[in-house]
Amino acid sequence: MAHCERVSKPLLQCLRSTPTRGLPGLQSARAFHSTSVAREDAQVETKSQPFHKSPDPELVSSPRLERRLMRQGLAPVGSRRRRAALQNSPNVPFEQLPYQCFQEARNILQADRIEKLKDIERIRERIARYETLSPEQAGGKQVQNSKLGAWKEHLEKLKIQADINDPIVKKKFEDGQGDMSKPIYRFLADRKWREYRRKILVQRITQMKVIPDVLPHCDPVVDAKLYFGRGLIQPGDFVDSKASTTPPKLDVQMFEGGNKLVTIVVVDPDVPNMEKDGFDYRTHYLAVNVPLSATSTKVDLSKLSTESQVVLPWEPPVAQKGSPYHRLSLFILEQNNSQPLDFAAIKAKETERHNMSLRPLQTRYHLKPIGAHLFRNQWDDNTLEVMKQIGYPEADIELRRKRVEPLPYKRRNPSTMR
Amino acid sequence: MFQSRLLTPLRALERTHVLSLRSTPAAHRLPSTSLLPRPVSAPTLSSPTLSKLLPISQARHASHAAQGAANRHSRDPAGKRLGAKRSGGEYVVPGCIIYKQRGTKWFPGENCDIGRNHTIYATEAGYVRYYLDPERHPGRKYIGVCFEKEGKLPTPRNAPSRRKLNRVSVARVSETPEKPQSDLMVSTGPEGTIVADVEAVNAESGPQLRPGYMFREANWQIGRAAEKAGITAKPYDRRNRWMAWRKRQAKAERAAQMKSLKGKKGSKKGKGGR
Repeated sequence: MAHCERVSKPLLQCLRSTPTRGLPGLQSARAFHSTSVAREDAQVETKSQPFHKSPDPELVSSPRLERRLMRQGLAPVGSRRRRAALQNSPNVPFEQLPYQCFQEARNILQADRIEKLKDIERIRERIARYETLSPEQAGGKQVQNSKLGAWKEHLEKLKIQADINDPIVKKKFEDGQGDMSKPIYRFLADRKWREYRRKILVQRITQMKVIPDVLPHCDPVVDAKLYFGRGLIQPGDFVDSKASTTPPKLDVQMFEGGNKLVTIVVVDPDVPNMEKDGFDYRTHYLAVNVPLSATSTKVDLSKLSTESQVVLPWEPPVAQKGSPYHRLSLFILEQNNSQPLDFAAIKAKETERHNMSLRPLQTRYHLKPIGAHLFRNQWDDNTLEVMKQIGYPEADIELRRKRVEPLPYKRRNPSTMR
Repeated sequence: MFQSRLLTPLRALERTHVLSLRSTPAAHRLPSTSLLPRPVSAPTLSSPTLSKLLPISQARHASHAAQGAANRHSRDPAGKRLGAKRSGGEYVVPGCIIYKQRGTKWFPGENCDIGRNHTIYATEAGYVRYYLDPERHPGRKYIGVCFEKEGKLPTPRNAPSRRKLNRVSVARVSETPEKPQSDLMVSTGPEGTIVADVEAVNAESGPQLRPGYMFREANWQIGRAAEKAGITAKPYDRRNRWMAWRKRQAKAERAAQMKSLKGKKGSKKGKGGR
């Protein structure tokens, strides 16, 4: 989008949606509007319905009206605080705000942006020139590669710095209207994710010991959200066994550009094994060659193609009565160089669900974990029904605590006590 | 011991005395020196003079010595029996106390936990290990329990944790919704108080002869009368402010009523008394 367009967009938006509730502020806003009074009044008259009948997603602030909007399928824009503030604001575009200091600051930011754009052009030219050189001219293949890598990194940094001070970018991002194909919005989304949600995820998967139990190491770089039906599952939540009969939906947000092919696995490391008095692994889902990008985030595990992607279809998790809770860990693993894996070979090889650990799978196919999620499952009222539905073999078995034999009583020898 | 307040006049007295000695070489002949029991030969030494001035005050009586002995016991309390209760390599079962301490001299490692007074106890059966785990924390000492007799702790950080199921499988019993319960009966006779219970089967079937020649239902059945009659209390909803307001109002009214009753009584009493 050209810069002039970006600048004029809020103005147009403002003209299109006049705040109906911001009546006291409207008087002051009039001076800045370019349209005629007649048109303005006509607009207001057509919207004669009271606000609570047809709430505006830009201005609605009460939870009840928000819910009504959501039921209609309209999401309220931005934060509630911001919408409440907008109700009484004249909603003047940034360019026409009558604050001299603010306008001066904007000018400085604009100048800085132009400078950054020039820098980007320069670096791009330099990279293009350098790439045409032969390795001998550039002073060795290694030197050329390292120089190119550093410049490209700098270029990405410049792209972000050019836009990061733009108030319109900030506003768009906070309204959830950011375009994830642009590096600046990806950067902002990544920063926001790392501020809180990633910390929670990492804490859950390490404290619940998923990390040493299923995989030795994982550094999540993509934001994975998990839904059963319409419910969002927080990492580590207990999920009702009836809800988890259908495969979950994923919303995987990547924060880098480009496309990736990933493998998605769901592993349960807590299947009780009485013979060895320990636990086994069980793979509940395995799909390969799932395409991901920053803009296409939705992955429905039930809708992946069975001919080319799903190796092991979804098996509903169930926990026997009395068994410790089961951790169902979902991992998103990046395939080597985002190259597709041979589906037919994997389908032939990986047929055994039971005791298939993720570690050998990771080494065999050179997978790198980039995202994780976790939910838990335990015996509940619906488990028996689900067990019958899937034909679980040990449905009529319950686990009880093993009695611990106390240590033999050791008689104290009073003569040695003093 | 003499207080300094008492000592100062004596010291002043001594000083004047020494000065006079210096000023007059033939002081011992002066009559003013008659305060002392005998003439002083060395005028520069002050402490012997002082000791001679206070011959009786330095005595220690038996009562003072006894006080010291009384306080000694509070300064040297009994031992609290802290320390290791199980040494390294010893076999422990869940709940077995391994170490008692004040504060965390040792931290709970694998298959161990810490009590509210920082006692370290085992959560699994196995063999005790005292170890350091610099990857987890560089300055902490840990106590852990290892499943194998020759096993080593700590386990590597990226290795899957070793756990035990500690469960046995039994046939699952389906929960019956309502079991008949037995009912307690207490009867006091000439041979003392007898506590017996009506058998579960009998307790269910209607009113029976209870102690005190009463035909009535079992206590647990009386407790469930409302449930049988289908009386349901409105579930409490914290957002229902209208109900909360009405309840509060009723409570306040009742309180006011009680207060007014009380006030009448009190005023009558007060008039009579005062």
